[in-house]
Amino acid sequence: MARLGMLRLSHEKQDTLLKLLILSMAAVLSFSTRLFSVLRFESVIHEFDPYFNYRTTRFLTEEGFYKFHNWFDDRAWYPLGRIIGGTIYPGLMVTSALFYHILHFLHVTIEIRNVCVFLAPLFSSFTTILTYHLTKELKDAGAGLVAAVMVAIVPGYISRSVAGSYDNEGIAIFCMLLTYYTWIQAVRTGSLYWSAFCSLAYFYMVSSWGGYVFLINLIPLHVLALMATGRFSHRVYVAYSTLYCLGTVLSMQVAFVGFQPVQSSEHMAALGVFALCQAFAAYSWLRSSLTPALAELLLRSFMWLLLIAGSIAVAILALSGKISPWTGRFYSLLDPSYAKNNIPIIASVSEHQPTTWSSYYFDLQFLVFMFPVGLHYCFSNLSDSRIFIILYGVTSMYFSAVMVRLMLVLAPVMCVLSGVGVSHVLTSYMSNLELGRALSRTRSRRHPDHSYPGKQEVSSAVVLFLSFFLMTYTFHSTWVTSEAYSSPSIVLSARSPDGSRIIFDDFREAYYWLRHNTPQDAKVMSWWDYGYQITAMANRTILVDNNTWNNTHISRVGQAMSSPEEKAYEIMRELDVGYVLVIFGGLTGYSSDDINKFLWMVRIGGSTETGSHIHENDYYTPTGEFRVDRDGSPTLLNCLMYKMCYYRFGQVYTEAKRPPGYDRVRNAEIGNKDFELDVLDEAYTTEHWLVRIYKVWRCKMMPIMYTLGCGDYVIDLMVV
Amino acid sequence: MPLWKLSFAFVAFVCYLAASCEAQKTKDMLLSEKVQQLVDWTSRRSVIRLNGDKFRRYIKSPPRNYSVVVMFTALEPQRQCVVCRHASEEMQILANSWRYSGSFSSRLFFAMVDFDEGPDVFQQLNMNSAPTFMHFPPKGKPRRADTFDLQRNGIMAEQLAKWITDRTEVVLRVFRPPNYSGAVALMLLMTLVGGLLFLRRNNLDFLYNKTGWGIALLCIVFAMTSGQMWNHIRGPPYAHKNPQTGQVAYIHGSSQAQFVAETHIVILLNAAITLGMILLHDAASGMGDASKRKILCLVGLGLVVFFFSFLLSIFRSKYSGYPYRPDLWSAWNIIVTFTQ
Repeated sequence: MARLGMLRLSHEKQDTLLKLLILSMAAVLSFSTRLFSVLRFESVIHEFDPYFNYRTTRFLTEEGFYKFHNWFDDRAWYPLGRIIGGTIYPGLMVTSALFYHILHFLHVTIEIRNVCVFLAPLFSSFTTILTYHLTKELKDAGAGLVAAVMVAIVPGYISRSVAGSYDNEGIAIFCMLLTYYTWIQAVRTGSLYWSAFCSLAYFYMVSSWGGYVFLINLIPLHVLALMATGRFSHRVYVAYSTLYCLGTVLSMQVAFVGFQPVQSSEHMAALGVFALCQAFAAYSWLRSSLTPALAELLLRSFMWLLLIAGSIAVAILALSGKISPWTGRFYSLLDPSYAKNNIPIIASVSEHQPTTWSSYYFDLQFLVFMFPVGLHYCFSNLSDSRIFIILYGVTSMYFSAVMVRLMLVLAPVMCVLSGVGVSHVLTSYMSNLELGRALSRTRSRRHPDHSYPGKQEVSSAVVLFLSFFLMTYTFHSTWVTSEAYSSPSIVLSARSPDGSRIIFDDFREAYYWLRHNTPQDAKVMSWWDYGYQITAMANRTILVDNNTWNNTHISRVGQAMSSPEEKAYEIMRELDVGYVLVIFGGLTGYSSDDINKFLWMVRIGGSTETGSHIHENDYYTPTGEFRVDRDGSPTLLNCLMYKMCYYRFGQVYTEAKRPPGYDRVRNAEIGNKDFELDVLDEAYTTEHWLVRIYKVWRCKMMPIMYTLGCGDYVIDLMVV
Repeated sequence: MPLWKLSFAFVAFVCYLAASCEAQKTKDMLLSEKVQQLVDWTSRRSVIRLNGDKFRRYIKSPPRNYSVVVMFTALEPQRQCVVCRHASEEMQILANSWRYSGSFSSRLFFAMVDFDEGPDVFQQLNMNSAPTFMHFPPKGKPRRADTFDLQRNGIMAEQLAKWITDRTEVVLRVFRPPNYSGAVALMLLMTLVGGLLFLRRNNLDFLYNKTGWGIALLCIVFAMTSGQMWNHIRGPPYAHKNPQTGQVAYIHGSSQAQFVAETHIVILLNAAITLGMILLHDAASGMGDASKRKILCLVGLGLVVFFFSFLLSIFRSKYSGYPYRPDLWSAWNIIVTFTQ
């Protein structure tokens, strides 16, 4: 304070300085708390989908936008290929390419991988600043600062934006909040400038995430609520009309979105509200120049006309099959359990699970009960922007309860409203404290009757307690980030008995082996989970990947994996497979390996016509168990996947006091130990046996056929 | 003499031929009659009801060139078999899809035997549980795989169809008649709301009641944060009773799941903490009597402290390894580490 005094800063300047300081510290904090995985491992891209994004970004920076836009990828889905330019949201890639080029223009020669790794933390810093501005619109700068600090470390948002998690959601939350902020400004001012800015923000959002559908339904809902509460004005009219026209035209420029904004039912609410806005405005204009009776008549006739025209239109569309109002899709919106009962594939994906109360607490901690306090505050002092935030809060609350992944959308509004709540309680008691001090010093104030005995003590207790809450929130968030959300899953780590960290880097080892030791045009078969990683890191052609658009093709791979060797060989030759890659955790105890996913391969493999020889029941024991030991079903013990995983495993000692060939994931001694592979060669097995790569022979091992078109195999033999 | 013998042999041979021919003919006739009868019945009701005699005649006895899928069940109300009713519905859907499909032929029939109409059949087949689905192939006896595994596959018509395709190579596509009950319920609700609004059309002020809306939204928020949606979708038990010790657990031990009772506790805790906070909030901003506000403030603080520590301890029991404890000692520790 003394130094500030020496600088001779006025109170306003001190205020601004403090705000700037806190805000920039929050922004730095939100960046640095996301770096756990970089510090622990290295600057590495995480998981599966980010590898695809990384690969496309690399393509974009190397080849330019037009080639990117017209890109037909022949490295994936061999022999079908995939059109990439028209099937992705390009916002993420364009953003990083832009950063990359700007930095290179300034002679900061950063690698594109590092741009990708640090993009999500950078954008969460931006989100922090934006949250401050958004909350400031709702209450005041103090609430804004509290909300900004909260959003910097909220685990629900960190889960999708740690360094290396290079996915659409990382920037989409920023785009979403930017659109909301500009929308609130547009509604407040009614200026074309803000409305156009809002459309641009909306365009950015559309180009980066499929979740934009939430926005284009929430904003019309806000307009509707304003109409219902009698707050509709020319400002809202200008804002919404501009946003809808400009935003729709702009969003249609994204190739993946195309004509959806004017065709699909998700966007129809926005169109309806747009029409309603025009009608409302036209009616209020007419009413100003008509007698009340005439206006009433006009309104009534117009209503009837609208009703009749609407029902005829719906009937025609329903009969012609353009819309189908009573289908499953419609019900799944109203009743979320519909999907679980009728669409099993949705039920099986973990990201589509509903949310338990404990994961709310895990991801949001004390925001769970500060949020309603903020809601209460907004309700007791309604305004246009507060109505908006209430709607955003409650709708996103519903969606996050249905699907745990959408916690991401809820987290920012949780912080905004909790920030409002916390700041309100805190400021009132803080001012009490100061007032008390002032009273004791000067003993003359205008409102002495507001104080009561012990006011000072009570206020300090409340303030202390709230600070304690905020501290536990900080500790909780840091703990959750460090323990739960900072593992890249491409590099695994485990604790050894003496407490030190062991790193398993087998995945990258295997992918780089493929990159350096196989022919350029080799086709690698693996289960679809590893498709993106193989194309990105090994740069080899793969059959199926995480973009699961073609079920029959995946099914064919599943059939190969679950058939006996002879049959599998036919399929592999048909698909021109050169190498097969399996993930095996039996030696290290890594539980999400291919044997544990195997039943899905069998199910998907048997689900199409060509897989009629595969029956799920054959892979169970007569008592209906899935076992790999001696009691396991013979079909399982002789299928390709089993043989590839357990080849030579029967000679390995994995645990003390156990027989050789003891599988540490299934906790069983394997049932089929001594076998040779007839059509495959073990090409490479990584250090901890996590990844095993096999080479498919060009022709079956028959001595007579050495000379008949088995070029590379003959050479292999001669070398041996 | 030999001629006589020969002619006798010839006559005998002719007689034999004629007889066997006759037998073949009656067999053919019998088969076509049976098929005709089955087709007739199927056209009347898609799942044929059989009693013991019919079962033996049409399904057990040999001349057959058709597969039959038989559901053994007990539908009489006094048997109180709920599963049977579900299974029967699914079977009905399946049989209807087959009967009205383009590929309908006499290769496959659907039939059922009710326990109360043919208990002898159950005895004969050594069957002591219902419902059971069995496939009787055109030739030979049913094997083990000809009995549908209910435990593993469930009773959905799609699963049944898959199994039948497996056994008979007849491709079945299940067609479910659309369910209009949801639409009807929605209509009813809308008319109810509309009617209420119409009745009170002269006084719509209650729609503009801020407090009402606020409380409704708070209720939604509490329901969602306590995982009621999870309950709705997953349908967990209310609580778990340990069969050995008889102890009742209200809190699920894992963080991946929850009991209904647990969510009710959590909803109360969350609401209590929020109420405490709101009391604090109102006590600070209100303009009422000073001592009353002081009491409000203290009550709010107490509510928050007590219920928060309670909530935290429940949370800790679900996440083993969570390092922060809900007591004063750990609070002190946190403050000490913070000040250091």
